[in-house]
Amino acid sequence: MSKIQEIAELVEKGKAKLVGKAVQEAIDEGCEPTAILNEGMIDAMAVVGERFKNNEIFVPEMLVAARAMKKGVEVLKPYLATGATGALGKLIIATVAGDLHDIGKNLVAMMIESAGFEVIDLGVDVPIEKIVECYKENPDTKIIALSALLTTTMPSLRDTVAALNGEDFRSDIKVMVGGAPITREFAEEIGADGYSEDAASAATLAKELVSA
Amino acid sequence: MNSKERFYATIERKPVDRPACWMGMPTPTAIPELCKFYGVDTFNELKVACGDDFYAVEVPYKSPTCSALYAAFDWYMNGTNVDTEHRTLTADGCFAECEDIEDVEAVNFPWPDPELYIDPEECKRLVDEAPEDKVVIGMVWACHFQDVCAAFGMQTCLMNMVAEPEMVHAVDDKIVAFYEKALKIFLEATKGKVQAILIGDDMGSQRGLMISPALIEEFVIPGAKKLIDIAHSYGVKVVYHSCGSIVDAIPLLIEAGVDAIHPIQALAAGMQPDNLKAKFEGQVSFCGGVDTQDLLVNGTPEMVKDKVKELRGYFPTGLIVSPSHEAIQSDVPPVNIKALFDEAQKIYD
Repeated sequence: MSKIQEIAELVEKGKAKLVGKAVQEAIDEGCEPTAILNEGMIDAMAVVGERFKNNEIFVPEMLVAARAMKKGVEVLKPYLATGATGALGKLIIATVAGDLHDIGKNLVAMMIESAGFEVIDLGVDVPIEKIVECYKENPDTKIIALSALLTTTMPSLRDTVAALNGEDFRSDIKVMVGGAPITREFAEEIGADGYSEDAASAATLAKELVSA
Repeated sequence: MNSKERFYATIERKPVDRPACWMGMPTPTAIPELCKFYGVDTFNELKVACGDDFYAVEVPYKSPTCSALYAAFDWYMNGTNVDTEHRTLTADGCFAECEDIEDVEAVNFPWPDPELYIDPEECKRLVDEAPEDKVVIGMVWACHFQDVCAAFGMQTCLMNMVAEPEMVHAVDDKIVAFYEKALKIFLEATKGKVQAILIGDDMGSQRGLMISPALIEEFVIPGAKKLIDIAHSYGVKVVYHSCGSIVDAIPLLIEAGVDAIHPIQALAAGMQPDNLKAKFEGQVSFCGGVDTQDLLVNGTPEMVKDKVKELRGYFPTGLIVSPSHEAIQSDVPPVNIKALFDEAQKIYD
């Protein structure tokens, strides 16, 4: 097994305490840092996401894998060019105003970060103004991702997307939405660019949106 | 049949005149509109007016820092228990930084003693207020898995379940011991007057279990089983709540002795009535099934009635008709709740 394959396996199994050492060994052996990142970690997390999507593994296993990747990236970062870990661009994520739920949103943030985005997480119960302000502070943002869990906060999601749709910068970004009661039809109806039903699909969607 | 006879027949999956039905516990913002619609002033009057078979009693709990059993633990050790900043499940709890058992003990968490904060007389008084013919259901919750998640912070806890399970067990054992004691106080004080309790832990998401069946078996079931055994020792039935798609956890709950599964989150993966009937008919009863994620919010009364008819078709007995989440939100039109009760209460030929 190659060193990079070994790293991928450690990430998939969530072995945070072993990944850092393996990454250092790979570097010492002359492996290309970007190959370690892309093939050893990002690809491994894609496998984790797929297994999660297929109900072969569950949230804890996904979390430990993401934590293992983070440990590996910490060791790898000094050897990478600036920006390599968030190469796909910035993504702002938030649970909309009035909604305090964040388990799903956090999983989405984690998977998207693991896919190669720089994630700015604004937390829960986030007013429209704060999202717009955050974009203005980060005008290189590629995607804004919004979550709502309750039927009673679906109108808030609608309002937030409507407000973004009215901004001058709207054509420069993509808006994706999700959450338990949200459907593809609702996402289209409110004018979002994308919808996904789980964290792994959200990472895939984010990648598709930036490559479109 | 009266409400109690109907309930017991449902739990034992014997013939019923019509299904038992339960409104659940609407959110405080939903209650005024429902009361107005039914022309009553209070929630209890509302339940009588709509023909609810149940009378829910929250286990009374009053400590210096909180007034609800479900908020008994001050996981942030700041004396507020449910402060806004920490209202998300994923906020770090006081055990967040622990790396081993010694760390867990070093936190020196002030474990509350339910004996100090549950007044048996108040338990008795609240239960005595129930109408004679209604099924009294004690809302115990005892969400020990959710509590242990909050104690560490949910993500940290879920990771610890895989990587450092003994730390999670150490905290969970204390939580379960607290709820065991609380439940005994409640049931001892109300002996013979409570027919059911509701306990539970959210384990499902819209599309599947959050944690694997193996982790449920290790971390959720043992605590649940202790509480179920206590309830059964008092002749009290157990309704077990978990939001989401839990179809793959139901066999474990059946094995633990659960009498009814609540709330059949209708739109969650695998929770459709035909699937539940095919998999679990004759093994356990259900409570819920009338979708709150779309149907009750956006549907017409006729659509709600059709759903209740469909549910009754699948479950001529063994189902308590109820919204698919106990906390009806303010966006549910009261006319749809009435449609639910009207159809559930019809005596079919």
